[in-house]
Amino acid sequence: MSGRVLPVVVNDRESETRTPAHPLYRIPDDARDPFTACPPQPSLRAGEDDLTRLAPGRPQASGDAIVISGRVVDEDFRPVRRMLIEVWGANAHGRYSHLIDAGRNDAPLDPNFYGFGRLMTDDDGRYRVRTIKPGAYIARKDIAWWRPPHVHFSVVGSGVRLVTQMYFPDEPLNEKDYIFLIVPAADRDRVIGEPIDPLGGDRAFRFDIVLRGRYQTPPDLD
Amino acid sequence: MAERHPTPRFTPEATIGPFYPGAFLTHIPQDLSIVAPLLAHRPQGQPILLVVTFVDSSKRPVPSLVVEFWQANAHGRYRHPQDQSAAPLDPQFDGFARLRTSDDGVMRFSTIKPGAHPVRAGAATMRAPHLRLTIFASGIDRLVTQVFFDDEPLNETDPVLRGIADPRVRGRLIAKRRGAAEYDLDVVLRGDDETPFFDNWESACGSIR
Repeated sequence: MSGRVLPVVVNDRESETRTPAHPLYRIPDDARDPFTACPPQPSLRAGEDDLTRLAPGRPQASGDAIVISGRVVDEDFRPVRRMLIEVWGANAHGRYSHLIDAGRNDAPLDPNFYGFGRLMTDDDGRYRVRTIKPGAYIARKDIAWWRPPHVHFSVVGSGVRLVTQMYFPDEPLNEKDYIFLIVPAADRDRVIGEPIDPLGGDRAFRFDIVLRGRYQTPPDLD
Repeated sequence: MAERHPTPRFTPEATIGPFYPGAFLTHIPQDLSIVAPLLAHRPQGQPILLVVTFVDSSKRPVPSLVVEFWQANAHGRYRHPQDQSAAPLDPQFDGFARLRTSDDGVMRFSTIKPGAHPVRAGAATMRAPHLRLTIFASGIDRLVTQVFFDDEPLNETDPVLRGIADPRVRGRLIAKRRGAAEYDLDVVLRGDDETPFFDNWESACGSIR
């Protein structure tokens, strides 16, 4: 019996050459595990949840500081606690501090912005991260494909593995972005941050993450 | 948002894109054959090197592909609170690593060979020694698969391998031994000789319902 056939992002050469064509294989019922990968709990340093400064007390990066806050829940809306969230994004000019982005993007680096951070969900599944609103950037000049402003999110813990991208409301580029458009139309609001009242004086967005499955928050490991 | 919906609408997955931060790799172990440089404590079991080459549908190497490995220790026990096995934990082995392919699409993973284990505590069916891989790269969403070893007789009866009807396809998950302790495998993401990947929503990643 076969599983899903993964969709291909049109005009994305990497998606077209890397996405498996064969339907995913189903693991037989009697070979399923009662648990899934469990990385060791990390220890985070102060300030890793604030991407707007290289370290506490350092100057703030260029652009608009924003706060993204939300809850991570399972399909029964129970909080998923003590999960590691890794966040990354481009700077206000639409440039990543990544060697792969050097040479194909003329936008400048910001000496005060590396563009990645880590944080944990609390006992209510809540998280909060401060960053700079990323700029848009051109992904393929030959077809004028622009990536709209977006922030990458990764959630990892016991039984939990999700990588997604959060978009911003009222961005005309969203509706022309092939990676945004691969999301089924009925689900697109799930990947757009919802404007909420400012937090700590910064523009703020709510971004809740609903995980597939009934994930158990892991007890502390010995 | 979430609380207003009586039935959940899941957060869609997306690609990691081309600009995955290197710092996220150094935060997580990349070599499970040691605990830390120069430390005399070592994990139990046979140290091995798994060399995996990732290619696309044109057989071009896939650089900057990220794999998260998870595996049992040498006794077949996972470091997870829900592993009810009687096999012992290894204080020097957690079993989780994250690595990235080089520009030539190659990933070299030093670890110890995992032990076999029953599909669940007390079950008669045995899982052959294997590694679990969660794969991320620009252009694809999360993929999951498992890697086996060609010198393990339990491969013949492993229920995950047997769940793949075509033995040629099954063989694409079995790494070949080179010399004493190196195992090699090509992973083809798409096209001829495509590697089998598993439906993670249905089986490999969702917890038991």
